[in-house]
Amino acid sequence: MTEVKIKILTTAIALSFLSTAAWAQVDTSDWKCELCPFEQGYDAEYEAGALYVSDSAARFGNATGLDEEGGKLALDGEGRYASEGFQASWTVADLALDARELEVEAGRQGRYGLYLGYNELPYRQFDTTETIFTAQGNDFLRLPPGWVAAGSTAGFTELANSLYPLDIGSDRQNIMLGGHFLMSSGFKFFADFRQENRDGVQITSGSGFTQSSMLPRMIDYQTDTIDLGLRYASGPLSLSLAWYGSFFDNKAGSLTWENPFFDNPATPGFDPHRMALEPDNDFQQLTLTGSYRFQTWNSVLGFTAANGTGKQNEPLLPYTINPNLAAGALPVANLDGKVDTSNYSVTLTSRPIRKGRIILGYRFDERDNQTAQATWTRVIVDTFVSAEPETNTPYSFERTRMHVSGEYELFDQLRLSAGYERRELDRDFQEVAEQTEDNGWGRARWRPASWLDISIKGGSAKREIDRYDENVAASFGQNPLLRKYNLAYRYREYGELTVSTSPANLPVSATISAMFADDSYTQSQMGLNQAETSHISADVSWAVSENTTAYVLVGGETIDADQSGSESFGTPDWSAFHSDSFSHYGGGLEWRNIGENTDIVLDYTHTDGETGIRVYRTGVSPSDFPDIDSDFDSLRLKLRYQKSDRLDIDLNLRYESFETNDWALAGVAPDTIPTVLTMGADPYDYSVWVVGVGFRYLIGARDISFPE
Amino acid sequence: MKLLRQIRPRGIAIAAILVVFSLPGYVLAQSAEDEDPAYSREGADSCFACHDDQLTLAVFRTKHAVPSDPNGPFGHGQLQCEACHGPSGDHAGRVRRGEERPPSINFGSDSGTPVVVQNEMCMNCHTGDEGLAWHAGGHDNDEVACADCHTSHAARDPVMATATQPDVCFDCHQYEKSQAMKPYSHPFRQGKMDCSGCHNTHGDDSGDLFARQTLNGTCYDCHAEKRGPYLWEHAPVAEDCSTCHDPHGSNNPGMITMRGPMMCQGCHSQAGHPSLASTADGLADGMPSQYLLGRNCMNCHTQVHGSNHPSGSKLMR
Repeated sequence: MTEVKIKILTTAIALSFLSTAAWAQVDTSDWKCELCPFEQGYDAEYEAGALYVSDSAARFGNATGLDEEGGKLALDGEGRYASEGFQASWTVADLALDARELEVEAGRQGRYGLYLGYNELPYRQFDTTETIFTAQGNDFLRLPPGWVAAGSTAGFTELANSLYPLDIGSDRQNIMLGGHFLMSSGFKFFADFRQENRDGVQITSGSGFTQSSMLPRMIDYQTDTIDLGLRYASGPLSLSLAWYGSFFDNKAGSLTWENPFFDNPATPGFDPHRMALEPDNDFQQLTLTGSYRFQTWNSVLGFTAANGTGKQNEPLLPYTINPNLAAGALPVANLDGKVDTSNYSVTLTSRPIRKGRIILGYRFDERDNQTAQATWTRVIVDTFVSAEPETNTPYSFERTRMHVSGEYELFDQLRLSAGYERRELDRDFQEVAEQTEDNGWGRARWRPASWLDISIKGGSAKREIDRYDENVAASFGQNPLLRKYNLAYRYREYGELTVSTSPANLPVSATISAMFADDSYTQSQMGLNQAETSHISADVSWAVSENTTAYVLVGGETIDADQSGSESFGTPDWSAFHSDSFSHYGGGLEWRNIGENTDIVLDYTHTDGETGIRVYRTGVSPSDFPDIDSDFDSLRLKLRYQKSDRLDIDLNLRYESFETNDWALAGVAPDTIPTVLTMGADPYDYSVWVVGVGFRYLIGARDISFPE
Repeated sequence: MKLLRQIRPRGIAIAAILVVFSLPGYVLAQSAEDEDPAYSREGADSCFACHDDQLTLAVFRTKHAVPSDPNGPFGHGQLQCEACHGPSGDHAGRVRRGEERPPSINFGSDSGTPVVVQNEMCMNCHTGDEGLAWHAGGHDNDEVACADCHTSHAARDPVMATATQPDVCFDCHQYEKSQAMKPYSHPFRQGKMDCSGCHNTHGDDSGDLFARQTLNGTCYDCHAEKRGPYLWEHAPVAEDCSTCHDPHGSNNPGMITMRGPMMCQGCHSQAGHPSLASTADGLADGMPSQYLLGRNCMNCHTQVHGSNHPSGSKLMR
């Protein structure tokens, strides 16, 4: 039977089936399902083992919990229980590591379900950092006893005696609770709650007048997120009314540190400086979403209407912690910050003809910052009072997007589509008050044979400035020739090609994809002038045999950008060329049922990143920065041996190495920069082996069989 | 007249079937005693005569095969395998010698069944949740079949687990796959974050399949400390996090799109140090520059996402 005939017949079958009357009137009284092997009782897999990490490396432990050398337990598992309509399941992963996960679900499907989850996510950034500061609580950093202040890091005579190692990283812990309840009338109630706690140490910077210090800041965040809602579905109508709440609590409202640079002889101790940390905030949003399916032209009308409010009302710090400065009174004690958000959209998709479809859409997003403005007379870095009052700017914007697209199946093998989109953006308090972008694209998808699929897409987009507010630009002190790249005129051309093939007579499938995007900022005399992105990749899979598959992958990408600036605050007198490249290759093998009891899985990946920067200045030879290279290798080998019907033995081998020569870090000791006390982080460089052995014990049958 | 003579009788029959069953609101009048000849005689028990492999039977370890669920395919009175695979009476019945067995509805882009038909089968039950905004999303526009991502005949659907979901998405999204392998990325490679953490993969009206209404709203789900509003805001932060960050991955720390100070100088040109060109002379082995090394501009302007300090207008407090 030809492919066309198969499609016609199955379409006809499906269309007949889609008639609700047909479904309702099928007599299934003889459908006993006597052979159906429904799930009953308890099945589980318990995995226990040990693994050994060859070396300590913070970055290797990022998200894995394997940052320290030594032996660790490996505990994983999952289980399922079903009885008389009640189902429950649990999964556990990495239970003995800082990346542990636990999930439990239970309920009666079709009536209600409950969910409980817990997970941890370690973020490990540096284990080569040092600091002189000692934390007292989570909001005060004290200098060591006997510290000698100086005007530059070269003068820190007690630096070597005062530095001690301090790792940089943090941990997230998430607790999740959720549930849903289905009511018989098509309503479904759902509720989800998540509490995330994040604590650890993060690098921030505390600045003085001409010097600054990298500070080990303690993080102690809690974020509670709630989703509640009601869904209704009946026939062609689906609706969802949902409330979303996010409540952020920062246990530390500020960070005070003792300045290691100059101290004031007139006052005892070291000059304290203080910064405000992220304020507590909350956001609540009500969203109504729906869709209605029309018989006419097989159309679907969808809409979303969401309104939200975000608030922040933390007590404000004084202008300065320096008691010797005559700073004025604050205009308000609390910001009483408030942002209203609105999001509306409507989309219509329709098939006026069998081979064609049109899509119309409109979307509106608004951020309306209702925070009041006031005049502030700041104190500059806790050192002297500014003579220039400033007014805070509550940024707001309105963004609309309209799009129309159509597609037509010219032949069974060829589908053409095209579309147009217009975006408009209006802003308050920014140089570009009104902006529009027009985007047109076309696409062809060609399937000349069942084993070949070719898709090509291209388009262009032009972003224009409808109104540029010179006064705002001047108020920022900007060079009048500068155009910020996210606001500037931009002409973009882009294209995409994807070829997928899976010949019927060959056990091979391959996908090749390529894309490019070319951005021109021709009206920007200063700022970003040009950016180009190109990417190509290929994946090949080979079913070597019934039990063996292999794959290889390779790809590369480049991102080039040109920008210009002016040291003389006039016409451009310097420019910079950036080149980011990234390539990857790898492969793998899955070999199952070796000797009917052994599986082997092997995977290897190599990546290579490179960033180059060249700076040109008028009258000076170009300056080339050393390339920032990053090399990554990952090898994973897993062998599973089925010892018996219930017991498997796993052997795992993992190797990973990463190396980078980042000039922003390499050779930058705490006292390398005269005016910045750094933490001396080294560029990442690790090579780690992990060897593991585990036992997996199964409860329940390994295979599914028909009931006896 | 010529056109009519060129249409074969079989084609007329097929076209007639299409016309009859495509009419909007058409209702078949069938009595309770009549059996729809398109359906099998015994439901799933008919299918097991041929389909008794572990892949087929794996559906019985999934939510699609819970007999106590009145709305599930194997609930009382439901259509069992044919709830998804369509009427399969002809497929399961006797086939004349030399003729091909009529197909039932199969799933996957290379299954032979049109994607729109496949997805309609899923939407029969999943319209209210996953299908709510499916029509407005890019996956529907690109004719992605539900079965291209979902494996219904598996106890563990890879796309439903955080550790394995990205590999499913990366089958098509090769650019993002490459991005995720970059030195600075979200923890996809470690299996601790998946694509649906940020994307509503079943579609939404934003055009970009964000989990929340906007890109920023999506980022704030995990990075709520950036939400503000702050007393002193950094305008691009409040508008669009992707102005500076590439959330899929970057060669630069913090997933920023370009190294500082040059990235900052794309927007800041004030007289004085913001507009000074940074060269290789400022590296550690030359005249170490505070504008270039360490945290570059953030050595002083650390509050780059906004400041709530009354003296923080320059994002230093």
